[in-house]
Parts: sequence; C-alpha cells; structure tokens
Amino acid sequence: MDSDGRRHSRSWDWDSPQCRAQLDEIFFRQHDYIQKGSPEHKEFWAFFDRFQRFKTKRDISGSGGAGRKQDREGKDSRRSGKMDLGLPKEYDARYRINVSVCTRDIEERLGKSRSWQRSSGPGSQEISDCRLALLHFLDFSQKQSFGKLAKLRQEQKNLPIFQYRDRIVALVQSHPVVVVAGDTGCGKSTQVPQYLLSSGFNHIACTQPRRIACISLAKRVSFESLNQYGSKVGYQIRFETTRTPATKLLFLTEGLLLRQIQQDRTLAQYQVVIVDEVHERHLHCDFLLGVLRSLLADRPGLHLVLMSATINIKLFSDYFSSAPVLQVPGRLFPIQVIYQPIPPEEQSSRSEKLDPRPYLRILQGIDQRYPPEERGDLLLFLSGVAEISTVQEACQIYATHTRRWIVLPLHSTLSLAQQDKVFDIAPPGVRKCIISTNIAETSVTIDGVRFVVDSGKVKEMSFDPKAKMQRLQEFWISRASSEQRKGRAGRTGPGVCYRLYAESDYNAFAPYSVPEINRVALDSLILQMKSMCLGDPLSFVFIDPPPAASIQTAVTYLKEQGALDSHGELTSIGSLLAQLPVDVVIGKMLVLGSLFNLVESVLTVAAAHSVQSPFLRSSQHNPDCATARQPLHSNHGDPFTLLNTFNSWVEVKGERGGGSRKWCRRRGLEEQRLYEMVNLRRQFKDLLRSHGLLESEYSASSGSDHGKRRERLTERRKLHQLKRDHERQEGSRRKVLRLDEGQDGEFSSGSDTEGAGKGKNDKEGSGQDMDIQEVKFKLRHNVSELQEAVNVSQDLSSRQQALLKLLLCRGFYPQLALPDEHNSTRKDSEQVFHTKNKQGVVIHPTSVFATDPEVLQVPEDDTREMGPDRKGSSKHQLLAFVTLLETNKPYLSNCVRVPALQALLLVANSVDSNADCTRLVVDGWLELELREPEEALKVLSTALTLRAEWERLLQAQLGQSTQRGAAFQGVSRKVMEKLSEGLVRFLLYTEVSYSLRRLTAFHTQNLYIGPRSESELFHTKAPDLNPLFPGAEAKPDPIKGGLHVTSFFTYNCLADSKDLYSECLRMFWSCPNCDLYMPLTPLERMQHEASCRPAGEQQQLEEEPQGGRAGSSSVTSLTRVYHCDVCNEDLNLTSTEILKHKKQHMYSAK
Amino acid sequence: MASHCRQLFICQLCGLNSPYTYYGQKPPNTRAIVLLEECFVTKDPFSPDKERFLVLGSLCSLCSTRVCAGSDCSLFYTKRFCLQCVNKHFDQFPHQIQTELAKKKQSSKAAVS
Ligand SMILES: [Zn+2]
Ligand SMILES: [Zn+2]
Repeated sequence: MDSDGRRHSRSWDWDSPQCRAQLDEIFFRQHDYIQKGSPEHKEFWAFFDRFQRFKTKRDISGSGGAGRKQDREGKDSRRSGKMDLGLPKEYDARYRINVSVCTRDIEERLGKSRSWQRSSGPGSQEISDCRLALLHFLDFSQKQSFGKLAKLRQEQKNLPIFQYRDRIVALVQSHPVVVVAGDTGCGKSTQVPQYLLSSGFNHIACTQPRRIACISLAKRVSFESLNQYGSKVGYQIRFETTRTPATKLLFLTEGLLLRQIQQDRTLAQYQVVIVDEVHERHLHCDFLLGVLRSLLADRPGLHLVLMSATINIKLFSDYFSSAPVLQVPGRLFPIQVIYQPIPPEEQSSRSEKLDPRPYLRILQGIDQRYPPEERGDLLLFLSGVAEISTVQEACQIYATHTRRWIVLPLHSTLSLAQQDKVFDIAPPGVRKCIISTNIAETSVTIDGVRFVVDSGKVKEMSFDPKAKMQRLQEFWISRASSEQRKGRAGRTGPGVCYRLYAESDYNAFAPYSVPEINRVALDSLILQMKSMCLGDPLSFVFIDPPPAASIQTAVTYLKEQGALDSHGELTSIGSLLAQLPVDVVIGKMLVLGSLFNLVESVLTVAAAHSVQSPFLRSSQHNPDCATARQPLHSNHGDPFTLLNTFNSWVEVKGERGGGSRKWCRRRGLEEQRLYEMVNLRRQFKDLLRSHGLLESEYSASSGSDHGKRRERLTERRKLHQLKRDHERQEGSRRKVLRLDEGQDGEFSSGSDTEGAGKGKNDKEGSGQDMDIQEVKFKLRHNVSELQEAVNVSQDLSSRQQALLKLLLCRGFYPQLALPDEHNSTRKDSEQVFHTKNKQGVVIHPTSVFATDPEVLQVPEDDTREMGPDRKGSSKHQLLAFVTLLETNKPYLSNCVRVPALQALLLVANSVDSNADCTRLVVDGWLELELREPEEALKVLSTALTLRAEWERLLQAQLGQSTQRGAAFQGVSRKVMEKLSEGLVRFLLYTEVSYSLRRLTAFHTQNLYIGPRSESELFHTKAPDLNPLFPGAEAKPDPIKGGLHVTSFFTYNCLADSKDLYSECLRMFWSCPNCDLYMPLTPLERMQHEASCRPAGEQQQLEEEPQGGRAGSSSVTSLTRVYHCDVCNEDLNLTSTEILKHKKQHMYSAK
Repeated sequence: MASHCRQLFICQLCGLNSPYTYYGQKPPNTRAIVLLEECFVTKDPFSPDKERFLVLGSLCSLCSTRVCAGSDCSLFYTKRFCLQCVNKHFDQFPHQIQTELAKKKQSSKAAVS
C-alpha cells in the first residue's frame, strides 16, 4: 500500500485538530463505543499523547520492538514432554490485550475516496498507531475499573460483619425475628441487606430514621452490588422514589413503612423487613416495632431483622419473645479517655453565658502535645446554638492568633453550604475545630476526627402536656450517648476523648437516653393508631409505653381539632388527616383550603410549615439582608411573609432561572428550603387530588401546542444530561479550606461571592453554570405552570386575605394567644401575650410581630370605655400560632393576626352565652362583652348560620372524597362562592364594639349556672326547643346548664344569665325576610333567622341538586315534625311556622 | 429461589464474585469492539453514564478454570491463562512476562513476611 505513509512524511501532524478529526471519523463515530465529543473521547486523546511520549522514549532507549510485527509461531520453544502453548516468539505488549477493534469497512471506504485527495488524510501507519493507542486505552480503562471492583470486594471482606455472613443468613432463615447488634463501622447497614439478597430473599425493606441515609445507603448498596443504574436497589422517601416493580431491596423511612402498613395491613409486599438503628428510639421506630410485633402473628412468612448499636440489646430481644441476638464487634481504634471536669469558678449558672476557657485549654493542650504535621481534627460537642457561638468566638480569636486551627460551627439551622464545610479538608499543619450540637453524634459522620471534646450536655425538646408547649431544655447526656460521642474519635485511627465532667458524673448518668415517645406530643401517633384500628392506645404494647397523660392530651387535642368525635372515634376529616403524611394542623389547613378558591395559597403555606424556615438565623442581624427582605414582609403574619417569599422566588426563577440563587443570598434565604417547598407543594396537591378534594388539571398542559411541548422535551433531555454530568462529578475531591474560612460570617463577604463555592466547574461554559438544584427543579416542575399557580395567590385582595387568615386560624386552632391589655404602654420588645394554658408568652424575634407589634394593638380612636379595665372596640385581634416553644422564655412563632370576635365565633369549639347573648365566654378562657343586645344577637346569629353552612359544605366535600371512583362533583362553585362571600363580609364588616379579656381562675370558678332542677327543666320545655340547624338538637347541657344549641354553642349557661323564658326578654322584632312581627326571645329569634332566608335565596336553595345529599340542603329539610301539645297533633312545619303556631296558642290562651 | 435469574461469576482462585450480564465475545453496544476470548461481562458500575462493559474474567484456555481478570489470578497473552497454568509453563512465556511475574512474586512475599 502507501509506502510513504510513515509518520511526518506527509503533512500529517498529530497535534493538529484537523488530523485528529480525521481519525475521529474512523474510530469515534456517532454510534461507536466511544463517541466524538464525549468525555471519554477527550480522555482518549490525552491518553494518546501520553502513550506516544512513552513509545518515543522507549524507542530512544532502544528496548524497542513494539513496532515490529513478526508474528511467527514460536515453534522452537517446544520441549519434549511439554505441551506447546503456541505463543508468539517475539514479545509484543499488544498480545496482552484481549480486545480488538474492527474498522476495516470504514478504512476501505476512506481508502477509495482518498485516491483523489492523496496528500491529506491519515495513512495506514497513522490508522494503526491510533488503533494501537485505542486498544491500550480500552485495556487501561478495563484494568482501572476491574481494580476498583477488586478493591471494593476486598473492603467488603475486611468488614467485621463479613465473618458473620453465613450465621446471619442462617439465623434469619430459621427465626422470624433476629437482632443484629454491632457498633459503628461494622458494616451492618450496607452488608446485611446484601447478604440476605444474595442468599435468595426477595423483597426486602430496610427502614432508616433519616431520609438522607435512605438515599446514601441505596446508592452505596446498588454500587456495591454493581447495579448502580439498575433498579434492584432503590429508596423511597417523602418526595422521591427510585422504586420500580423490579426493586428487591428498598431503603425507606420508618414513617413511610408505617404508611405502607396502613394500606397493606400484612405487608404482603415484603418478605423481609429490616429495622435499622432501633437503638436510637425514635417515635416512629418504637411505634413501628409495636405494629410489626402485632403483625407477625398474621404474617407467618415475614422475617424481621432489628439492627442496633450494642445498646440495650436485651430490651429488643425480650420485646420479641427472646429473639436470637447476633453481636458483631465494631471497628474502632483505641481511644484514650481523659476526664477534665470544669473547675467550679468556670462553671456557668443557668442564666450566664458559657465560659469558653475549658475548651480553649484543650486546643492549647493539643497544640503543645501533638506536632502539627500529625493530622487529626477536633470535634467538640456542645448543647446548643448559643453555646456554640460563644465557644466559636473564643476559639476563633485563638485560631487567628496561632494560625493552626479552622473553626467551624455545625448545627441544623446553618445553611447547607455552611454545614457542608465540615467535610472539607484543612490545609497541612492546620486542624479543623468543629463545634457541633449532638447532630454529629449520629446524623453527621465526619472522617478524620482524632480528638473529641464532650461537654456532657444536650438540649432536648420535651413536651409539656399541661401547657401544650414544647420546651427546649438542657440535660446531662446518657452513658450511651457519651460513648457514642467518644467513638467519633476512633473512626480513622487512635484518638483522644476529653470529657468535661468527672468520672463519677459519668457513672451517675442515665444508662440510656429517654426515648422520644416519652418526650413529644403524640397527636399524630394517636391519630395514626386510630386509623390503623389498633384499639385503645393505652393498652397497646409499646416497647416502652408513653405516659398515659401524653396519650390523654393527644386524644383531647384531636377531639378539639375535630379529628376524633366525643367517643374517641375517627371523624371523616380525621380519617382523611390520618392518611396525609403531615402534621394534623397542616392536614387540616389543606382540607379547609381545598374547599375555597385558595388552594394555591394554602398549599404554599402548608408546605412552608412543613420544612425548616428558609430565613437563615445568621442573616437576622445583617442590615443588608433585612433591607432586601423588607418587601417580603407582611404585617398580617408570618405565613403571609412566607407566601410572599415563595411567590417572589418563583417569579425570579421564571425570569432569571439560576439567578435565583443570588436573589436568595441577598435576602438571607436558604434556597434549598424553597426547593423543598416546591416539591412538598406538588406532593400536597397530588394528595388532595387523589383524595378527590381537588379537581384534576385540564388546563395548561392540554392547551399548549406541539411546538412548545417539543421545546420542553428538548429542554428536558438537556437537563437530564446536566444531571448525569453532575452525578459524575459528584464525590470528586473535597475542597481544601482556607485558613480564614471560619472567620467570615455567611454574609459578610456580600453578594459578589456568587459562584465562589462552585469552584472550577464554572468555566465549562454557560450550560455548566446552572446549579444542580436548578436542574432538578426544572426537571421536576414546569416553571410556567408553577408561575401561573403562584400568580393566583399573588396580590391577594383584602377579601381573599381575610379568608385565608380565617382558614389558617381554623387550622391552627386551638393555638390562640391574646395580647396583654397593657401592651400599648410597653416597649416593642416587651410585648406580652397569653394562651389558654400559659400566661406571659412573648413573640419569637423571627416573627414579623416582634418588629411590628403596633398592628396588634387596638387603635385609640376606636376604643370606648366599657367599665373598669374594659376597652370596647370592634378592632380586637388575636394571634393564631403554630408553635409555642420554651427556651429561655416561652416563645410564640409563626403567628397570624385575626379579628377576635369573628374568628372565635367561626372556629371555637365552645361558645357560651348569657341570656341576651351580650356576654360570651369562649373555650372557658376568653370573655367577650358586647354593648348592644341587638348587635350581639345579630353577630351571633350570622356566625351560627355561616358556620353551619361551612360545616355542611365541608362534610359534603369530605363525603365526596370518601366515595372514590365517583366522578368529582365537589361542592358547587356557586354555593361555595356564596359562603366565602358571607364569611368575608362577616370578617371585614362586622363593626360591633366589644371588650375582650382573659378570665382568671377566680372568674372561671362560678362561670356556669350548672344543671337545672327538674321543675326548671320542665319550665324550659326543652323538648319543644327546635334545633336551630338541621341535625343539631337543642337540649339542656348537663354540666354547664343552659341549652346546648349546636355542638359548640351553649345558650344561657353563664352564671349571670337572666331566665331564658322570662317574658321580659321577649322583644318585638320584625324579620327582614318575611312578614313576621312578634315578641320573641333571643333564642327564638335566632331560630327564625336560621331558617328564614330572603326570597331570592330560597329560590336558589330549591335549585340545588338534591342527588346524593340526603336533602340536607333542600327546603324540605327545614321542616320537621313538631308535636303540638295543645292541638295534640304532629305537624310538619318549618321553625318559623312552629313559632307562629305557638304564638297562636299563646295569644289565644291569654 | 427465583432471585437467581442473574448469573453469578465467581473466580475459582480468589473468590471474587459479581453478577454478569453477558458471556461471549461481543458484548452488547460495543460496535467495532470484539473480545479475543469468551468473557464474563457486566455493565461497568464505575462509569456513570452510558453503557460501558467490564470484563470480569474468563476460562483458562488450558485448564478451563474460571478466573478473574485480576493479575493475581490470570494473565492474557494471546489467550487467557490462569496463574497456575502460567507457572506450569513458565519457560514458554517471553522474558518480559517472566521477569514481571518474578518481581511480583517477590513483592508479595515481602508483603506477607
Ligand atoms: Zn481471581
Ligand atoms: Zn489454568
């Protein structure tokens, strides 16, 4: 062939991109194994250069022979009696490669075309050079990957648990329940599921207490089983799942498995359930164990594996009738424990700041004792954020001085980027000093820690059932958690643990931490138990039964919330709430929101309340952030601020895409939380839809044209590629920290730090500029659709705002707080509020009302004195709030302000009145006095009517949702609009002057008149009292006295009441709707108003479709059988007609 | 049990195991690439995008032992040889390979002792 096709002889230049491109045409075409333009293609040419250099070097040194090809069979190597292997005589590295590349077809084609453009293009030598390089490249990558595989298998073999592999499998095969106990580093979480999978078990579920662990374990295990992109190993968490029908091993959260049991009572979908980290004793885990324990009887084939640290193992084994325990040693290096109790003069009392000196001394000691070139970081455990910043400050001064430390805080309220820094590497000669809460005890694992400092303290949330309040208190830790902290020093080598307490203190610690079930509110747990038909929560066999008082409080609360009825059974709203994977309050909000045209807003607020606040705590004192945030604030309440924030963010995302990151940074927002909100919002929407509470969408997607859809499809493809690229880069090397890393606060460096965190990837062109969250966001959500949805909730009219407030208030109820009457004379920072169970609470500094408390005060020009200490006004307001948390003070957070009288009448569970309804007591603690009986009656009557209608529509809506499969009918829009119109008018335009105060214990002593005697009962003619509303029965209240008119309203039971039927209370009244004019008691009048509608409305009611609604809304339902004692006859009359009928007798009798 | 639909490759010398998806000389989606021996092949778990193949091992051309591609277990030189067979026919291999193996033996001995 082309004899002069040798290197350099023609215009061939290996470094010329054109020349390389010609070879690309042969070896790296569009469908080839390696394609032009791919990362591997780039790698190949880099490899090629190295390979050529290597060859040249070898040629020069004369060891050559690589180019020669004398493939003669080595016949002369044959020896007697020995088999000839037939190996070539001349050594060639090429023979060691088991791959070949066939490109003859293209070469031939090119060869033909080359005849007329002879001087250019690769000759056969170039082609074979390139082929040889490619073969070596392929071989090299094979060796590389195989090496990784071999290393992986070796690591698996080296895990302590590997020795127990067969015993574990055998135990699980022969016992229904097995406990595997092993300490950190034994490999149980990753290996046990694999052992079971490979020994033939199918369908394995493995629960984790943390979502993040589900994802990382699924990734790790699928990687180890070399199935990374297959679907055999998956995870399922709140927003995401990789589960497919082929999934055999699923990592999921404890809560999610519980939900699955709700749907699938016997867990038929799994053969094995592994419950990991049972020693952590989370609420869900304890409950899950209880449920699984009772489920085992119904599922003979189910295998249960409990995995735990070596803590309290007997407890778990005993709980499952002495299940066999397999104990695996951990893999910890020796750790030296040094007790260094804090001297008394450095111990801080409760109110004082922590003294950082003992901590500083340890840093100094390390610097003196250990040379800086001996690596090893320090992990310091403190109880809370305030303590961390005190010690951080002191250590930072020391670090700046010595230049040997980088001080990094670690707690959950830090931004994720800030949290992530603890995994970065310190430069040589410098140590990291990580100051952490107990988050680093289990949730976050940092490698390279050699020194641990344990303060011995922890702040834990406890629940005070009496005050319905959460309390964050500092405690001594348990011995178990002390050991856990110590263990963090010995993960990568021998370590040292400094305990800032005496050994005698250690011995006095409780052996184990208090399980969560004994510390928290049990509302959701009890609700779930009810919906799972687990019987009386008090008799359920928990591994550690919660205090009976907690259960009782939860039951009471659920009754207040309307989730349980008076017998403790689930109501329809309750059973729906039990199915929603959210807090009761949020679930309620969603259900309520679905009724009105406020779904989009309610979805956002509900989502915002289910994630951590996007407002970073550290940015609070940054004036620039505060200014930038200002436009987002709403003085109606924190939920509105969150709503504004989310809406503005979506708008920015629509306009600027990735620019939203900068936008967030300027405002001190953690964008991750907003991403979580979008996901949650979407999930909530799907939930509402699947429960028939929301119409499915026909709109945007069907309307968009083909072109747009194709555009979106192309975009999605691009996004997927970006996501894959990111995944490849992920886990690449950690950043090296700068020495001044700890010093700059999160915001001091200003907004121009944008992109600094992204590092080198930036220069890859505009496509790479997009951050991965943005990519995932765009993959998951249609931005323009989201914008549309958000637009609906933007710029709420004052009417919609009023209605949304009411919904929130009903959702948050009974969490209400009353401003103290003397607040107007106090400083902004000293505003005081009272809840039913707790006096003197304050507003959390993060709340909008902390900076703007005036909006809660009654305007002076609206007040009228109504007697001593009674300010009459129509502008009293209450705060509805989400949480009451006591740290150093009891704080209210997430508050919304609502008009007091209207809100109470519309949402309260108990409204008691006197005879002329001028005095009302709500929930036994708030007293309202109205000036005018006439006005009082009107307000009360309107409220009762609105509430009844609201309840009716809600039940209709819920009823709808329980009949699955039926086409969505919903409550007719017209009826719904009429109700919201009525509610809004009531909320905004009720201008009744009243006083509002909290009743003291003294007042509540003789609040009610109490049950009446027989004769009095007879006198009130109770059986004659018509129900005001369909379904409600007015009867004497056995405890309070008076008349129980509706489920929440008791008339005339307050002790100062005048006699209900004394004729003096009868006043002449003319009905605006009909021609009725006669003297009526207040009750009779309300009765009439409830049933007498204006002529126009009456018409509408008749037009209402009656199908399926049991006629409750029809006119006929307003009539009822009335037995008249005088006529001695059963009459079918409406309430008004009954009144008229009675009057007839009354007058004739006189 | 039914879960064993995926076959497992186990090296008879070192015990390395991994499920394989293909056995032969032409793994799927490799276009111009051909293997010069029948191999146990799986998808490369270490290359995140696209389908890359990974040769786990093959049968020794002399004794048909299943051996992994690791250099402690086998050697490819125009054909696959398990290290036992290589040792048996040591003198037939070119000196480059002989010195390599000798070096290796030494260093592994040093590591053990
Ligand atoms: Zn092997
Ligand atoms: Zn062999």
